[in-house]
Amino acid sequence: MKPLKATREQIRQHNRQLMLRAVSTGLADNRAALAAETGLAKPTVSDLIGELIAEGLLVESGRGESTDSGGKRPTLIKFVPNARQVIGVSLDNGRAFAVLSNLAGQVIAQHYDELENCQGDEAIAVLTDVINGLVAQLDAPLLCIGVGVPGVVDVRGGIVVDSQPLGWTNFALVERLTRQYKVPVYTGNSAELTALAQYAFGLNSDEDSSNLVTVLVTNSVEVGITLDGTAYHQGGDISGLREGAVERLDTRLGWPAVQARIAELRAEAAQTMLPESGVTYMHVHYAAMNGDAAAQQLCDELSTSLAQIMAWIIGLLRPNHVSLAGPIVNLGEPFLNQIIAKAEAMLWPKVSDRVTFSLAYSGNLSAIGAAALALHRELDIL
Amino acid sequence: MKRGISVFTNYASAVFQRDVIAGAREVFDSFGYPVTVLEITTTPTHLSDVGLDERRIAGGLVITGVLPDAVLIDLHERDVPLSLVSHQIPGSHIPCVMPNNRQGIAMLMEHLVVANGRTKPVFIAGYDTQNDGIQRYTAFQQEAMRYNLHVPPEHILRGDFTPEVAAESMRQFLASDPDFDSVVAADYLMAEAAMSVIRASGRNIPSDVAVVGFGDAPEAAQAGLTTVAADVTELGRRAARQLIGQIEGLRIRGLTLLSTELIERAST
Repeated sequence: MKPLKATREQIRQHNRQLMLRAVSTGLADNRAALAAETGLAKPTVSDLIGELIAEGLLVESGRGESTDSGGKRPTLIKFVPNARQVIGVSLDNGRAFAVLSNLAGQVIAQHYDELENCQGDEAIAVLTDVINGLVAQLDAPLLCIGVGVPGVVDVRGGIVVDSQPLGWTNFALVERLTRQYKVPVYTGNSAELTALAQYAFGLNSDEDSSNLVTVLVTNSVEVGITLDGTAYHQGGDISGLREGAVERLDTRLGWPAVQARIAELRAEAAQTMLPESGVTYMHVHYAAMNGDAAAQQLCDELSTSLAQIMAWIIGLLRPNHVSLAGPIVNLGEPFLNQIIAKAEAMLWPKVSDRVTFSLAYSGNLSAIGAAALALHRELDIL
Repeated sequence: MKRGISVFTNYASAVFQRDVIAGAREVFDSFGYPVTVLEITTTPTHLSDVGLDERRIAGGLVITGVLPDAVLIDLHERDVPLSLVSHQIPGSHIPCVMPNNRQGIAMLMEHLVVANGRTKPVFIAGYDTQNDGIQRYTAFQQEAMRYNLHVPPEHILRGDFTPEVAAESMRQFLASDPDFDSVVAADYLMAEAAMSVIRASGRNIPSDVAVVGFGDAPEAAQAGLTTVAADVTELGRRAARQLIGQIEGLRIRGLTLLSTELIERAST
């Protein structure tokens, strides 16, 4: 079978992205250096740079130093991160949460609304009303939109194959939003995008995030994976997997199930610090820290389930780093330490010793990941 | 000529309201919308009670809960574009703009507990019926749990976003010879008032008591107050954009959040 040839337009698009990435990452800051770094001919570089300057994505900014051979001082080229803005939206944890960012991934504004168990067309209405909330805040042209959803997503086709929380099956999300907003739209699974956000913007300076797995626990349980710095698009919702051949994971770890279990433990306890209504993971954390038996029992059960998931992930994929995300992170470091201890007990030390763990506290990581996905696909600068 | 926009507020010259209106005016002016600021002094049951016909306005910007929820819901149902500033109506789809209260309080508590080792905070609350007041108090409770701080009920002081009320609450609290090492006030004016009372009692700030507030202004800087800044003028600008977006055809629901940033000064 003959390999497909790239079209002229694809080559041009690829070369534009090369220029943008080279300038935005500081690899090269003038036309001659760009030609040397990218291997493209100088006239090609000049044409592309001219185009990008005309579009406002790059700007000429003063003169650099002469080369050693004493030639003319080159005109410097700078990336303009505020030339365009990107909207990233995440639909999970009962909310549609959106961020407006510039091309450097800096968040300029945030907007959200509750999904209130909306499904089908109602969920689409919430999504577009929230996107509109940030369209109203644009102060640069909108470049593209990224959307993270819970469930199985056909990333290439832009189709939500199956999202039970949203009631979408084979829904052509990208086509729907592209028609309304007239910009490129990209979509992915929420957990994948959480992992992508952590990879793109770094966990912290000490952590290697090139092989990263994020376990996102909200109303469902999802896994996002980046391998060698690339998002693995076959990750996603594992809520339907069964634990102990009996229970689905979400019937033990999903927030509705956790709330029900808290109610059971409260009823069984002689006394407890857990409130009768309005309980949050923070209440459980506080109660557990203060010796509340019901809270500690709950943490023990949840950590056992998560340890099993993480042990399988570590044993199979050998990631550098595993992070836990979602409101469950408010159970805090003691909870994470419980999970780690249990997971390590299931693994060979040579395997588990190489892995670092963290809690991903940011509530909008998935939305940031959606913006990062859109930026990466559109401009390849993250 | 475009129809005008009405801005509804209680005290147009109060610091918060003044800055919101200034930011909103910048944006309305740039889009060519005439602006009328209406000070509401008595609670209306209908827009006509304040001399307005909603058919004659392009939309309304409502600062805090100055118009009753029932009036706002009625206007919204009759497709009058509205944006609320620092107010939210549960169950309604009227969009609003607010500072990120949860983020701001989380920053303050991390600063007090982690950076400054304080473990016995007192909280001076805003209005318990107003969104910012409710959210900041809820966030304080959550953050206290995060750091396993035991905050007794008597450490929650009434402030009503009013410096005089905050000062009196702090006087009464100090009279009980309490054991505390820090104060988190739901706004910077209440924090300043508390600082005066604390100093007058012979306690040193920050060595005896660290104090933090919410919101920033030259007065906060002069007082040396550590606080989280939510740019109130930007709040006004964002609210104006949200309203103009609706006037120009976008259907918007939900809440636009403005990020806060920690400003460290001598009070911690």
